[in-house]
Amino acid sequence: MDLTSVERDMLAGRDGPAKQRAMKGLVQLGRAFAAPRMVEIGYAHIHAGMALYLEDVELMEELAAIDARMVVPASVNIANADTVNWRQTGAPESLVRLQRRASSAHAKMGSDCTFTCTPYWAGHWPTWNTHMTSIESTVTIFCNSVLGAKSNRDGFFAVYAGMTGRYPLFGYHLDSNRRGTMLFEIDTPVSGSSDFSCLGFLVGNQVGDGVPVISGFARRPTLDELDALGAGIATSGGATMFIVPGVTPPYGDLPAAFGGHAIPAPVRVLRAAIDAVYARYSDAHEVLDIVHLGCPHASYEEMKHYARLLDGRRIAEGLELWITASRNVRNAAAEAGIVATLENAGARVISDTCPMACHFARTVSPDPALGIVPPRLRAIVVDSAKQAKYVRDMIQCPVLLTGTEEAVETAMTGRFVARRTP
Amino acid sequence: MTRIAARGIVDGRARGPLLVSREAISFLGDVDIRSGTIVGEVPSVKGRKLGGTVLVMPYTRGSAGAWRFIHQLFKHGTAPVAIITGTAPDPSVVQGAILAGIPIACDVDAATLAGLNDGVMVEVIVADERATIHIDDSAVATPR
Repeated sequence: MDLTSVERDMLAGRDGPAKQRAMKGLVQLGRAFAAPRMVEIGYAHIHAGMALYLEDVELMEELAAIDARMVVPASVNIANADTVNWRQTGAPESLVRLQRRASSAHAKMGSDCTFTCTPYWAGHWPTWNTHMTSIESTVTIFCNSVLGAKSNRDGFFAVYAGMTGRYPLFGYHLDSNRRGTMLFEIDTPVSGSSDFSCLGFLVGNQVGDGVPVISGFARRPTLDELDALGAGIATSGGATMFIVPGVTPPYGDLPAAFGGHAIPAPVRVLRAAIDAVYARYSDAHEVLDIVHLGCPHASYEEMKHYARLLDGRRIAEGLELWITASRNVRNAAAEAGIVATLENAGARVISDTCPMACHFARTVSPDPALGIVPPRLRAIVVDSAKQAKYVRDMIQCPVLLTGTEEAVETAMTGRFVARRTP
Repeated sequence: MTRIAARGIVDGRARGPLLVSREAISFLGDVDIRSGTIVGEVPSVKGRKLGGTVLVMPYTRGSAGAWRFIHQLFKHGTAPVAIITGTAPDPSVVQGAILAGIPIACDVDAATLAGLNDGVMVEVIVADERATIHIDDSAVATPR
């Protein structure tokens, strides 16, 4: 790799052990993927340090201890416990205490400890052509496809990139890889986060690690719908970006989306294909325990929508309604009186985590000293294909996927209401 | 002693018995962290344990979370000591292996992969983008 003198200094340890460790890792990564050089990044969405995994919080503490600092704006991904209002999730205090140690490490390193999978709703909004890195594939796909920033689906090395301001030039940092490989033509009305989440799930399943181009929408999708679309795509497949011509910068039309190459025959998406995703996640169940909204973490607009649906009503006895959003969005919603409306209806507004990321998960492996015992849950109702997949795989309990409005009705009546065709 | 040259992805040196999967493995989902047991639908190696082995597979199945599971296998002492793949692994797998100090060799052709057998002791040496796999034909460990 061709390194600048600044990068060579970091590698040689002249800027301290933290930057040396980070640059060593990034150079190995770059060599593995034949990157000719590094690019300067403008943003990093980094690992939280997750309290439900053995010595994972310690990973971040180790870096803070050797004086690692974020040299670009950095937000922090979702964590394993609500570090503020944890009592309403039933999390053991030992888990919360460990998770808060990660907050302290991030404060020392200068990362904005957002603990969220939607840092863009918390003010981290990278713009067109900004090279960046993200540990969360939903963030990667939103920033690539809606904002026009440039990111790979990364792992831990998002932290190293944030510490050095550098990332090897390969993958979706190269314009030659940022063009469509498959065309999907939408031939049915799709509306709201849950429909777009299901659409994303079926597109992701078919596109593999290619780039889906999606056209034929009756109207421009909202930011929340685009967020749900990307989360669905990243959940079922390996895709890193999608292109909606006229929405995704800088692709104005189909020829631009395919980079001047031949436009492939479209895959037509009919309502039945979207309904099939809802049907895929409609497990047999006896009792419902939790209705969950806010996967990925809700935006302010979504919080307003939930408040309109819940205003003056009350959830059914014996059921919990979880609404998850970043602390930033929760605080803004609290100031506007939205959180009060939600809580008066019986909802629990939870931040920093979500059902699949909290102590419900059975596939994690915490330090035995924490004494974590996942509760026995009988069924969870969700309005997101991403949450549905991971409730089934990680919490290993029955899951039912429906629309946002129908999920609220479910919470009101205690009986599952399936998605109605819009 | 047979020697196979490959492309080096992650530097390091390790010795162990081969565990040969004929199918791709996803570290997120196909492997139990605590025991290192392969629990996913990977017919050729389902039920086998990764700990201490030189893991061979045609390619890695993608997940951005793979790095964390490789790191967790390492923390639980259930990780493979080296990984050999046909085509280059996902970036997340590479990041996990660098973090855990697990050498990776790739660009091994299908015929050579097909000739590798479970339990055979090998040593993998990776440095400067070059990998060498030394196969000790005389020593065959008992597969676990």
